[in-house]
Amino acid sequence: MFQGWLKKLMDKGDSKDVAKKRLQFALIYDKLEVSDDILIRLHQDIVDVISRYFEIDKETLKIDIRKSEGKSALVVNTPILSAKRPHPV
Amino acid sequence: MEGKVIVITSGKGGVGKTTATAAIGAALALEGKQVAVVDMDIGLRNLDVVMGLENRIVFTIVDAVKGKCKVKQAAIKDRRIENLHLIPASQSDNKDVLNPEDMVQFCKELRKEFDFVLLDCPAGIERGFENSVAPADEAVLICTPEISSVRDADRVIGLLHARSITPKLIVNRIVPEMVASGDMLSHEDVVEVLSIELLGLVPMDTQVIISTNTGVPLVLQKDSEAGLAFRRIAMRLNGQINLPIEIPQALKSFWKRVGQKIGIGK
Repeated sequence: MFQGWLKKLMDKGDSKDVAKKRLQFALIYDKLEVSDDILIRLHQDIVDVISRYFEIDKETLKIDIRKSEGKSALVVNTPILSAKRPHPV
Repeated sequence: MEGKVIVITSGKGGVGKTTATAAIGAALALEGKQVAVVDMDIGLRNLDVVMGLENRIVFTIVDAVKGKCKVKQAAIKDRRIENLHLIPASQSDNKDVLNPEDMVQFCKELRKEFDFVLLDCPAGIERGFENSVAPADEAVLICTPEISSVRDADRVIGLLHARSITPKLIVNRIVPEMVASGDMLSHEDVVEVLSIELLGLVPMDTQVIISTNTGVPLVLQKDSEAGLAFRRIAMRLNGQINLPIEIPQALKSFWKRVGQKIGIGK
């Protein structure tokens, strides 16, 4: 507990969050065989596009690959905080 | 009624498959079930030493499968825990001496004699894995909260799904203090990434090393946290599916922690 408090004080992120992100990307990469770089760009682009229409929590957006019957499906999961009001034209 | 064949697997080596197999097998036997634990790591056997039965090996699984001895002769009876039997691997052969069809046939015989047959799968996804998975009705997947282990577990889940087996997960070697400080993946993280049903959580426990040193079954060590966790896992495998999964907790008191550091208390 004290360690956690000290770490927050020093403003260092949790290493397990880094581990989880890396793991999730590694699993997608293993299944699709696309590069990490492409995935990170895809992740960013998806966040940007959805953010145009909805208020989302960028940190929790998840990209996942589901494989069924030999086909891969790209599943993007994100909690939507609120809809954005359309800009007046 | 015919017994159940359960493969204990992980993909990655060194995450605790053999320890888990020995502990769950012993715990199921303590529950009164007839249990056979089978070392499938031909050429690199280890389940025998973990169980403290290494100097009683006469016949091995290869002898039994090839018909050179009867199943009963290859199954070593544990003298401390009634109903617990070990079928050791052979040390001089190569994994290719067995094939999946042989194993399916062999396990058919084992099912008649035992309530539970636990197959300790070797690391990797080659022949030894194929041999262990082919006869299995169910699978227990072991991983530790590390990226490398979870990644390999994911791969194994895929391979098991292809054989219509949905494994259940044990997260092993959890260090609650590190989970609390955010420096170790929590079991929730692991379950979320793998999308798999949880069977149990086992804390890091120095008693495991002591148990392996002495060959005394972990589940007989009363103060072993890991031993208790494996006993609960065995109860769940034995049908008590509603038994809650206990989450390893950090030691609460500061003095308890100091006590553990300097080696007093447990």
